[in-house]
Amino acid sequence: MAHVSVPMYWRTIPQRYKMVGQKCKKCGAVNFPPKGVCKHCNASSDFEELQLSGNGKVHTFVLIGAGGAPPEFAEQMKAGGSYPVAIVELAEGPKVIGQMTDVNPKDVKFGMSVKAELKKIYTEEGVIRYGFKFAPDAEGK
Amino acid sequence: MKRVAIVGAGQSKYGEFPEKGIKELFFDAYKDMSSSVDKNFDPRQIESAYVGNLGSGGFQLGNMSALVAEFVGLPYIHTVRVENACASGGYALVAAVMDVLSGAHKMVLAGGVEKMTDVSGMKQKYWLGVSGDTEYERLAGTTFAGLYALIAHRHMHEFGTKREHLSSVAVKNHKNGAQNPKAQFQREITLEQAMKAPVVAYPLNLFDCCSTTDGASSLLVCDAEVAKEYTDTPVYVSGFGTSSDYLAIHDRLNTVTLEGTKRASQSAYKMAGLTAKDIQLAEVHDCFTIAELLAYEDLGFCEKGKAGQFIEEGHTKIDGDKPVNVSGGLKSKGHPIGSTGTGQAYEMFNQLRGTAQKPTRQVKGVERGLVHNVGGSGGTVSVSILVR
Repeated sequence: MAHVSVPMYWRTIPQRYKMVGQKCKKCGAVNFPPKGVCKHCNASSDFEELQLSGNGKVHTFVLIGAGGAPPEFAEQMKAGGSYPVAIVELAEGPKVIGQMTDVNPKDVKFGMSVKAELKKIYTEEGVIRYGFKFAPDAEGK
Repeated sequence: MKRVAIVGAGQSKYGEFPEKGIKELFFDAYKDMSSSVDKNFDPRQIESAYVGNLGSGGFQLGNMSALVAEFVGLPYIHTVRVENACASGGYALVAAVMDVLSGAHKMVLAGGVEKMTDVSGMKQKYWLGVSGDTEYERLAGTTFAGLYALIAHRHMHEFGTKREHLSSVAVKNHKNGAQNPKAQFQREITLEQAMKAPVVAYPLNLFDCCSTTDGASSLLVCDAEVAKEYTDTPVYVSGFGTSSDYLAIHDRLNTVTLEGTKRASQSAYKMAGLTAKDIQLAEVHDCFTIAELLAYEDLGFCEKGKAGQFIEEGHTKIDGDKPVNVSGGLKSKGHPIGSTGTGQAYEMFNQLRGTAQKPTRQVKGVERGLVHNVGGSGGTVSVSILVR
């Protein structure tokens, strides 16, 4: 009953591990996660790969409580309690959703400066899934 | 536009019914619809059926529209299951209207059904999570409560919307639902109860979220030219609009606007030759309390950022100047996913004809109403305008 099956997860390894985005050759805007056609101009699918810095600012955030966690995150909830999830506006422009880590949930703030780190997300189908989470950077601490 | 009419509408009771599956629930709605037609109803005249449904917990995903149609005595017709997550019912109505407008069929059923309580809590969360952006939003550890909470928190941050405003939506809708004999939760709640409920995804708590529900609804849609053969008081679909949006909230240009709602309503207003000011009554998609506040703004009932003030001033109460969700909304009436959109139209049909079940919940003199149905966190939206 996996939500993100192993094959589905595998296809996004460049995004999970290295935050590889797309720079549109027509309009110059950056897409992350990738699109078939650039979401800014809706006119081109001619991209160059762009590795994002992982730096960004918290655009909005929530604190997921026991009733709000998907079943595959129940283990994390049991072990660590409520966890913060944010939409982060990355330095290169795109926004992306991710969990916050290495931070006291009550210290998360709008506009907080964060950096992506490669972390274990969860284990499903016997396979550990790694991906990015956001931690306060030097400025955000 | 007065080219398409609704001449009958029915709804099963919403709630938890261990003895009923999708077939039986759909039959309840169908029987209720049949008995609401004033004269000359003949099932053999129904030429097609559009049935909103997300997946009934995964039990009958294939050919479910043919199954529920034959169960109620409608074999050998054109049937389609319409799936756009929580907006499936709203899109089923639009599909029926387009079918009639195309001239392909004169008498069409638009309905919806969902069976949600048969499955375990864990499986429900699995099913309910399938309509957002699975690859990123789900893998960040969120369900829909978390996603709407992301919108709510940003709305509070940008516009000063307060927790009380969110809870006021729940209190209002439970007050309305307490009067609705077909609602799942026919009881009022206090502001204090709503404020102090356990946190699901801060800033949203348990009373900001709708429940899981079994239920079905059904509408009889026909060419306006023949409507008077069935009733002296048809309800007309004078405008409709739909719009998709980016599924993931992080992909949207604006976190605090459902662009789909804006675009769908603007199309509907234009077709009907009306503006937001002309709407006298609305059933909007309040799957979470923040969703109703967003609807006030994105449907044009108030300015962007002013929804908190709008509910505080009482405009949307049953005795206000723009009553919203007099049925109790998804929050109190219940949210059987595939049925929600046509269930909203069922309420509006009765309000427009003055046949709401109790005098206490009948809004007087309504001539123009709007129904608004949202799929997922806004990935799909349908709006229809119903008039006398």
